[in-house]
Amino acid sequence: MSSEPHILVIDDEAQILRALRTILTARHFRVTTATRGEDGLALAAAQSPDAIILDLSLPDMDGVEVCSRLREWSNIPVIVLSVRESERDKVAALDKGADDYLTKPFGVDELLARIRVALRHSSQAQGSKSTTISTAGLEIDLVRHIVTRNGQEVKLTATEYKLLAYLAGHAGRILTHQAILSHVWDPEDANRVEYLRVYIRQLRRKLEEDPDHPKTIINEPGIGYRFIVND
Amino acid sequence: MASRRVSPEQILNIPGLTYLLAFIATLLVSGVLMLFRGRINSSIIALLYILPVALSSALWGLKPGITAAFISFLAFNFLFIPPYYTLMVHQTLDLLALLVFLGTSVFISQMFAQNKLSLAKARDHERETISLSELISQLAGLTDDREIATRLAAQTLAAFRAEQVIVLVDAPVNGGAISILQKDASIPEGRSSSVSQPNLVAPLQSAQGLIGEIQLYRRTPPISATETRLLHTFASQAVLALERARLLQTEQRARVLEENDRFKSSLLSSVSHELRSPLAAIKAAITSLQDDDVAWDSEGRRDLLDMVEEETDHLNLLVGNLLNMSRIEAGALKPEKSWNALSELVGDVLGRLHQYLLRHQIDVDVPDDLPLVPVDYYQMDQVITNLVSNSVKYSPIGSRLRIHSRQLDEHTLLFCSSNQGPSVPEEDLERIFDKFYRTSSTNQIGGTGLGLSICKGIVEAHGGKIWAENLPDGFQICFTIPLDWEAQPMEKIGSGTI
Repeated sequence: MSSEPHILVIDDEAQILRALRTILTARHFRVTTATRGEDGLALAAAQSPDAIILDLSLPDMDGVEVCSRLREWSNIPVIVLSVRESERDKVAALDKGADDYLTKPFGVDELLARIRVALRHSSQAQGSKSTTISTAGLEIDLVRHIVTRNGQEVKLTATEYKLLAYLAGHAGRILTHQAILSHVWDPEDANRVEYLRVYIRQLRRKLEEDPDHPKTIINEPGIGYRFIVND
Repeated sequence: MASRRVSPEQILNIPGLTYLLAFIATLLVSGVLMLFRGRINSSIIALLYILPVALSSALWGLKPGITAAFISFLAFNFLFIPPYYTLMVHQTLDLLALLVFLGTSVFISQMFAQNKLSLAKARDHERETISLSELISQLAGLTDDREIATRLAAQTLAAFRAEQVIVLVDAPVNGGAISILQKDASIPEGRSSSVSQPNLVAPLQSAQGLIGEIQLYRRTPPISATETRLLHTFASQAVLALERARLLQTEQRARVLEENDRFKSSLLSSVSHELRSPLAAIKAAITSLQDDDVAWDSEGRRDLLDMVEEETDHLNLLVGNLLNMSRIEAGALKPEKSWNALSELVGDVLGRLHQYLLRHQIDVDVPDDLPLVPVDYYQMDQVITNLVSNSVKYSPIGSRLRIHSRQLDEHTLLFCSSNQGPSVPEEDLERIFDKFYRTSSTNQIGGTGLGLSICKGIVEAHGGKIWAENLPDGFQICFTIPLDWEAQPMEKIGSGTI
């Protein structure tokens, strides 16, 4: 295995493949491409790349299916690419184990940020997780259940803490509304997005500098939330 | 009319009964006259014997009348012409009286019977006319094949007192074949199922060929020639109604197609122009960057690249609008609602349009404690994006844009986007939401004329209203969103979950 991270791109559009190959190679990634779902799965098995970029509309099978078949035997991080109109597919892919998504058209800096998070996450999965998370003046002690902001302890209700801990525990990754609701509340409440909105609002008021322009708990339109950790 | 109570007319259909009644009537008269025999003149008796004859022919027709005439003749002779209790006649005068009596009574019975017949005919004719005019008024103005067939079947069932009527109509251009069964409700199930063959069938024959038929099931009384004729008249009326309905449908389809066609060609011309301008800008920027003769400084490069990014976003918005427009046109725009916070939505839109908003002052007043709204996130995003980018497009650089929202009442949220752009003539305030409509004052600014009509389509699909109004120092567009969502009412979040 070379030192350069290896990325497998599965997309049937030649222009996207060409652009991604050029962009990622220039950033010192090793790039393999596939235009069909079956080929992509075979390459993933044969070469075990460090991350996969997967388009949702493929000629031979649905990207969501590629994702769920991949997850049967592998934890390789998957970043899903899709157009804005197929949001429901995107949520389905995330629920089937995709790690992140990007909407076409996307900016390269966004793509690189997503890849970085994905790669870090896969290396973290092998090592031990840290017990405190800190970002932008915020410190969350996952062992002692204490949250401080600029050195001051922040009082959180049990549900607020549970929600924050779940978000922070998956820092940098997109979490779907359904995933959050069924972890923090109950699988039966997976569609009660209104719960989530209310609690996110409360958390932002307690934790964000400017709750109207959140920097830590950010919105992923129509899909879920993401906890941002500034390096 | 649907009742199956046995009517007097039906009893009279029992063969021989009317003759028996004529006989009884004659006997009754004979009995009464016997009481006065010898005291009254035979000519009065003869006159009184006319009674049963007239009665029988008037009530039961010619044959019972003539029967009554002969029985009266015999009874008169037997009982009242001496010698009594024989059919012999001694006096010539009596014989003459008897023969005159017979002749007169036969003549009278014929007269009465004829009268009755023409009366019955007149009644039949009247009934025919009434049921036909009822049918015509029932079918008038109907535009749906199924409705026509149903009314026809019901009307036929009633007019013919049938046990069962089936109306079959072939499939028109779109839609399936129709089969309507109407049954007399008073017939018990078991009996009606034994009806297997229709007793009369009238085809629905149109100019284009056979388009269906009426099947009439009625075993008794047998169907008369008049009724056969009437059923065919029914059929031809139904054909007229069906043809009229189909003509109307065809016309409507043609109109829709024509409108679609017009829409598509306007779309094509508006879009190809609209798509080309950002593409031209992108191409120009990129070719300049590729030009080796110019040494771009970092600021120049940045400017050109920003332009490329802005224009690609613009293209993306255009494509989104096109997609939504075609969905609205196809009637396929179904909001997939979920509970959303308007403040988040506005924040997302403004974040995405950030680059585009730099040259204006933005004043946002969307409190984050507004109630959540049940909306399709992406569609509402499209509405707000269109409104904001419209404001940017039509208002002078450096002017103030305002986005504000508040709760109107328990069931409604109001959202407005205002700017300091030029006012729109009052008569255009509604028309700016029409497809491809652009006010004359905006000719120099590019646009597809789709943005606002999409907003209208989406807002209305959410059950809200959208309108435009001029302000003292600008222009604003507002819309409402209902806060009620029956399919998934918002639960009050109880303290139990904390």
